[in-house]
Amino acid sequence: MNNLSRIAFITVKDLMRQKSFYVLLAVALFFVLLLRSCYHGSYTINGRTLDPASLALHASVIAFHVVAAGMFLMTTLLAMGIFSRDREDGTMVMFLARPVERWQYLLGRIAGTWLLAALFMFILHLTIALIGLANTGTLVSGYFTATLICSINLLFGVMLTCTLSLFLPNVMAAIFSLIIIAVGFVSDGAYQLMQSETLRQVISGQTKTAPWRILFPKVYMLQDYASTWITERAFEAMPLGYVWLNVLVWTALLAALALWRFSRSEI
Amino acid sequence: MIAFENVTKSFGPLVAVDGVSFAVPKGEAFALLGPNGAGKTTLVRMLLGFSRSTAGRIFIEGQPAGRSESRRKLGYLAEIHRIPPYLSGWEYLMRQAAFCGLAGVQARAAVSEMLKRVGMEGQEKKRASHYSKGMVQRIGLGAALLGDPALLVLDEPVSGLDPLGMRDVRVLLEEYKRRGGTILLNSHLLSEVERLCGSVAIMNKGRIMVQGPLAHIVQASETLEEVFIRHVEGGKANDA
Repeated sequence: MNNLSRIAFITVKDLMRQKSFYVLLAVALFFVLLLRSCYHGSYTINGRTLDPASLALHASVIAFHVVAAGMFLMTTLLAMGIFSRDREDGTMVMFLARPVERWQYLLGRIAGTWLLAALFMFILHLTIALIGLANTGTLVSGYFTATLICSINLLFGVMLTCTLSLFLPNVMAAIFSLIIIAVGFVSDGAYQLMQSETLRQVISGQTKTAPWRILFPKVYMLQDYASTWITERAFEAMPLGYVWLNVLVWTALLAALALWRFSRSEI
Repeated sequence: MIAFENVTKSFGPLVAVDGVSFAVPKGEAFALLGPNGAGKTTLVRMLLGFSRSTAGRIFIEGQPAGRSESRRKLGYLAEIHRIPPYLSGWEYLMRQAAFCGLAGVQARAAVSEMLKRVGMEGQEKKRASHYSKGMVQRIGLGAALLGDPALLVLDEPVSGLDPLGMRDVRVLLEEYKRRGGTILLNSHLLSEVERLCGSVAIMNKGRIMVQGPLAHIVQASETLEEVFIRHVEGGKANDA
């Protein structure tokens, strides 16, 4: 096992020792389990009663989005204090007094946090899929592919918080991370609405998108694309290649910034 | 084994280390002495790569210090050694062993042996949060000695230890020295330095006031303490 994967493994173990991890998981599972009651009602839309399969699909998609978006809060909480805690409790010296490169330590810690966050999200999404299966007898295909795609968003979230925590106090880093992600969601959500024909006709002449909105991290778009694996609809909000490139380039830029900052910091 | 070449470290306008040069040959125990704030710990931190020098170069066996390869040869014990509070002594040492290239049965045997050597046998399952300062220091010394490093860098190794603990550490270090290990020791305890080290450097305000073999520095009519006070007080007098 090389140093990077060893540190990532140690990070997962260390985070799983914290009671707060299990408390957060239990609270999240409790809310996800509340979803069960959604399957037992009768829903009428435009005079048509929804059949159980459609109901399961819609409930699953909504739950998918809520969990995927809520996971940004979870990743921020997990990632915000990694490096300051390591400085205080001697973990950073423990690693770096050994033949471990600084980049191995930094990326190992980030990778471990990401893996745990992805596992956390997978458990919640699996629970939703199983609730759907128990109530309708059908497993929503594409749910796990959608989870895997969303895990890239979590990598971005962990990288963002960790990088900011190298420049700012932990709480400020967490708040800024959540603001950036929230702005991305609002901006891209609005952008997607603007793509609808009806809205275009209503506000004709005002559909030009500012460059910063095009360049801003496309976490919402990637999440929306992930949900198309559940709904089996086409993703047409913007070119898919650009969405992937945007999130991956932002993640790589943040990683480069974190490495630059950490390589110059005093241990 | 170690060479400092005209090393300077500044923190803004404050010069913590000012043009320091010295070398520690292989197999020697070398002590850095000086009052608080003399720059000893800054030198050690630069040797480990925790801090970058503003000017000058540091080498460990011919390789620039700070590279992970050069740290492969050394064991380090900090003045205030810290162990993550949720780890037991056993877990901590097993982690350290993994980074020394030890795994499985080999790692478990090395850690068990080390726990015996540092007198922590039977205490290894307790969490570090339940250890006294002396116990943490013993585990830290065990971690530094794991993997049989060619160089030991010790920053106040007996800090927090009772007289028996200090004796045990001295015995361990003497044994390490007999086996040909090199020691760079940062200490305020002049009696320990006199017993263990062959050479010393006395630092004050970032500069080396005097360095060389202990026998040359300390004349027959005086003690190391007197030499230390003379150089440190002399530095103050010159400043005045």
